[in-house]
Order: sequence, then structure tokens, then C-alpha cells
Amino acid sequence: MKIFTKEELSYFNGENGKPSYIAFEGKVYDVTKSFLWMGGKHQALHRAGEDLTDALKDAPHGSEFIKRFPMVGVLKD
Amino acid sequence: MAKVTREMVERSGVNVDKLVELLVKNAAAELTTFYYYTILRVNLIGLQGEGLKEIAETARIEDRNHFEALVPRIYELGGSLPNSMKEFHDMSACPPANLPDSPNDVEGILKILVEAERCAVRGYTQICNMTAGKDHRTYDLALSILHEEIEHESWFSEFLGEGPSGHFLRRGETSPFVSKFLR
Ligand code: HEM
Repeated sequence: MKIFTKEELSYFNGENGKPSYIAFEGKVYDVTKSFLWMGGKHQALHRAGEDLTDALKDAPHGSEFIKRFPMVGVLKD
Repeated sequence: MAKVTREMVERSGVNVDKLVELLVKNAAAELTTFYYYTILRVNLIGLQGEGLKEIAETARIEDRNHFEALVPRIYELGGSLPNSMKEFHDMSACPPANLPDSPNDVEGILKILVEAERCAVRGYTQICNMTAGKDHRTYDLALSILHEEIEHESWFSEFLGEGPSGHFLRRGETSPFVSKFLR
């Protein structure tokens, strides 16, 4: 299982054809294939390449949507 | 742009650029849903499908009304719609409500319809949360749309066997909540 530092994760921000990875509760998910994460942006408010654990608390949905996507690694604290 | 309108919203602490982007994304979701629902409605045929046609049509027309009602607010706040329809489609706040692989699959169509409504309910809840007590006009608009989206969700959910919706179908005019923004 790949271990990502925050800096390594930030590369996967979906910009310029790069994959979109997001971290949630210590796990890293690949959301590149999601229509709702195109270009690494989600609902005008969130960006890929970041740890979004806290951000989900204010979202109008839970983690069930995230867990549908492939887990590609873990985030180093 | 309505200069003082925008200034008042900014001064209330709302990030207006983000709010406008969200309104444009939701306007895109409404117009694209209007389009995709046309195809879904056309395919609601036969003994099972025919009974759903009417509510699918009401939801379709009301989603178009939501698009119409959102556009003036986007421009008042200094935003705009993209020139490209293709770009507009791809920035939608909700995924495309595509016809299932088997067009005769009425339950499959119902699931697409209910998921689309649930996505909209989430989106307008977010806009209400962002604007409550701050941007009164956007809040009023988003809340009016939310009322209608919740009713759509409840209609489709009832047909899926998830329990009673507690609602009748529309009697008379469409968009009982949003119509004040369409005059
Ligand atoms: C507060 C801002 C947010 C809003 C307004 C928002 C809104 C939405 C909406 C409307 C959907 C579609 C749900 C449906 O189909 O019913 C969605 C899906 C999703 N959201 Fe969020 N969300 C937010 C924050 C987040 C955060 C912080 C994360 C990550 C931690 C996240 C991850 C996802 C994922 C992975 C999906 C599924 C995408 C797909 O199935 O293609 N969202 N979000």
C-alpha cells in the first residue's frame, strides 16, 4: 500500500490531466473517474490533492460516496 | 450586475464568487436534467411506465423552471453562464441522468429519477446553509427550489416502494414555490 505525504498528495490535484486523489480519514481515494470531480474540483468548494476529512463535516452527504472509489494508499500524518 | 446587492452579500461574509459558481453549477444541473428527463419520460411506456409519465413530466418542467429562476440571480450577483453549452453540461452539480442500458427497465428509470432528485436536494440544502441569514434573496430562491425538489424525491421514492410520500401530485399549475421568481 502506497504511503503519501501531504506534499505527494498535493500533486494529484486533477489539474492539466493529472489524476484526482483525495484523502479522507487517513485513506487516499482515486476520484479521477468521477463526473463530479472533473478537473479536480468538487462543487466549486473543494479541490483534489488535499485531506478533506474536516471538510466533509459541512457537506450535504456522508462518506458513503467516497468509499465507492478505489483506495490507492494511506496518508502519512 | 446589481452592485449594492453584491456588496451586501459580500459584507455578510459569503464568498460571492464561490456562491455564484455553485449557482451556475446547479443551473447546469437543472437544464441538463430537463434534457435527460425528456428521454426518460419518452421511455416511460407500457403498463408500469405510463403511470409514471405524469410526475416525470411535472418534475421535468419544474426543473426547467428552476433553471429560469436561477439565471437572473446569477447575473444580479455578477456571474454569467458560459458561452459553450458543452462546457455548461460538464460543469453540472449532478451527474447526467442517463437512460439505463435497458430502456424498458421502468424500475431502473425510477432509480435514476430519484437519484437525480436526491442530488438536487443535497445541492440546494448546501446553498441554503451558505446563505441563511446572510443572502436573503438567494436563500429564498434556493429554499423555494428545495421545496419542489423534495416533493419530486418523495414522489419517485413512493413509486420505488420506499413508503408513502405524503403528497398528492400537482393540482393545477407547476412550480407552486418557485413561480414567484418566474413572473
Ligand atoms: C460542502 C461541500 C460539498 C457539497 C455541496 C457536495 C455535494 C455533493 C453532491 C450534490 C454530490 C452528488 C450526490 C448525489 O448524487 O446524490 C456529491 C458527491 C460526492 N462528493 Fe461531495 N459535496 C461536498 C463536499 C465533499 C467533500 C469534502 C468530499 C470528500 C471528502 C466529497 C466527496 C464526494 C464524492 C466522492 C462524491 C461521489 C461522486 C460520484 O459518485 O461521482 N464531497 N457531493
